Amino acid sequence: MVDTIQDAAKQNHSGSDQKIDDAVSLAQSIARGERSAREVLNASIERISATDGQVNAFTDLTLDRARAKADAIDAQRARGESLPPLAGVPFAVKNLFDIAGLPTRAGSKINRTRSPAQGDAFLVQQLDAAGGILLGALNMDEYAYGFTTENSHDGPCHNPHRLDRIAGGSSGGSAAAVAAGQVPLTLGSDTNGSIRVPASLCGVWGLKPTFGRLSRRGTFPFVNSLDHLGPFANTVASLTVGYDALQGPDPLDGGCHAEAVHLALPELAKGVDGLRIGILGGYFDELSSPAARSVVSLAARTLGAVDTVVWPDAGIGRAAAFVITASEGGSLHLDPLRTRADEFEPLAVDRFIAGALQPVSWYLRAQRFRRLYRDRVNALFKDWDILLTPATPISAPTIGTDWIEINGQTHPSRPAMGLLTQPISFAGCPVVVAPMWPEGTDGLPIGVQVIAAPWREDLALRAAYVLQNAGVAGIRGVNL
Amino acid sequence: MTEEDALSYVTSVAKTLSLPLEPDRAQRVAQHLARNAQIAQVLDRIPLDAYDELAAIYCPAPFPAAGDMGGQHG
Repeated sequence: MVDTIQDAAKQNHSGSDQKIDDAVSLAQSIARGERSAREVLNASIERISATDGQVNAFTDLTLDRARAKADAIDAQRARGESLPPLAGVPFAVKNLFDIAGLPTRAGSKINRTRSPAQGDAFLVQQLDAAGGILLGALNMDEYAYGFTTENSHDGPCHNPHRLDRIAGGSSGGSAAAVAAGQVPLTLGSDTNGSIRVPASLCGVWGLKPTFGRLSRRGTFPFVNSLDHLGPFANTVASLTVGYDALQGPDPLDGGCHAEAVHLALPELAKGVDGLRIGILGGYFDELSSPAARSVVSLAARTLGAVDTVVWPDAGIGRAAAFVITASEGGSLHLDPLRTRADEFEPLAVDRFIAGALQPVSWYLRAQRFRRLYRDRVNALFKDWDILLTPATPISAPTIGTDWIEINGQTHPSRPAMGLLTQPISFAGCPVVVAPMWPEGTDGLPIGVQVIAAPWREDLALRAAYVLQNAGVAGIRGVNL
Repeated sequence: MTEEDALSYVTSVAKTLSLPLEPDRAQRVAQHLARNAQIAQVLDRIPLDAYDELAAIYCPAPFPAAGDMGGQHG
């Protein structure tokens, strides 16, 4: 296992002249005494200070807490104690995660008047216990209802590869912070694509685990029946180590179905021999630009995939996810919509209200369909282990774009970013987004979704590791 | 659903829910609701019978028992 981590640390980026330290190498160098946790933290703070005026990924910094934790880790090492796997690794979280002492703003203005959180979210506690150093909270779409992180209250998050472009959303700050080299590991949430879309547009690794794998306790909800949480990172090994640290059954979250920890790191270097890997066609191909198709083709060639597979009822699955999202999201905020609608994000408030007014029969039909959908999708995985498709139809559009074209068809830009992610998360399947770099996008990335059957994150991570080691997927440096 | 139908629906349901709406906002909400209606109609393509239950607390598949992980396909 140690060899796997060390090998992975050498493979920490592709196609870039800029060296970006990954979480695994940082933890190892601290454990060996080559750098102190305080030095690593200071470097991260300096990077944030130098770049965040342009990127606008961070909304809060937790510097006192971070410095105290770094010093505690350095003292632990000085006493000769063994260090946990992420000891000294700076991380940050989307600002819908509870952080002790801060109001959980969830991208909103309204939540800023809430009392400060009494404790950390479950997953923040998990990373803290693994030695991670929480450095702050990150920009997002208000209440996670968006794919662009054009947040009027905190300002838009800018794509570190092209500052006039969106970072994607709703976890835009989480992807941008990793892409900008501010921190090697972040957490976000994904209801319909909010980890996968920004990972794709910012060119970083992202993991949306199986629905129910990770506890959501201590996070501000958006759509309880669809919300997932997961990590972003700058290498597959960092993503895997972070994911393993996050795992743990939580009987206090009724939506956490995991009953045991399934460590993925010991499986990571097993390769893809014997795995049945297919390429999603039909709906997914029709909604992918030529650039998006090209990165899937490259990933498929690298993984030895040739067959095209049809995902059952993808368009209907997307419609059902849309209806459920609108109803639950609108209903959740009905009280403030009655009295404080003018304080909501202008891009979201009318959609929230429309959702709150939807007939209940639409919602119930969508939830009844979800049972059938699950069975059809799970049947697909009797024949396949991994399926590939783009994470976004195109690369990042300019901030403020209202309409985009995909293969000659005009689509509203913001919801279109989730066209390829919604059908997958509606089934609850785990997905790793592999950052890839097509021709014809002015150097901007498009991610590939590496999809596995429910509870098989290990397979998706193995395939992602092959893509990274083959040099076809990985993060690239930025000029900031 | 016409825009006029949507506006009429929005106005009356908002009143039922005690949700005040200015005329401009009601118009914009009606446009969103009309689009949502088109999307919801997609679901009508799927026949459902009385025994197709809600996915209440959704679970994508049973959590695997010990020993069921890995090995079967490499």
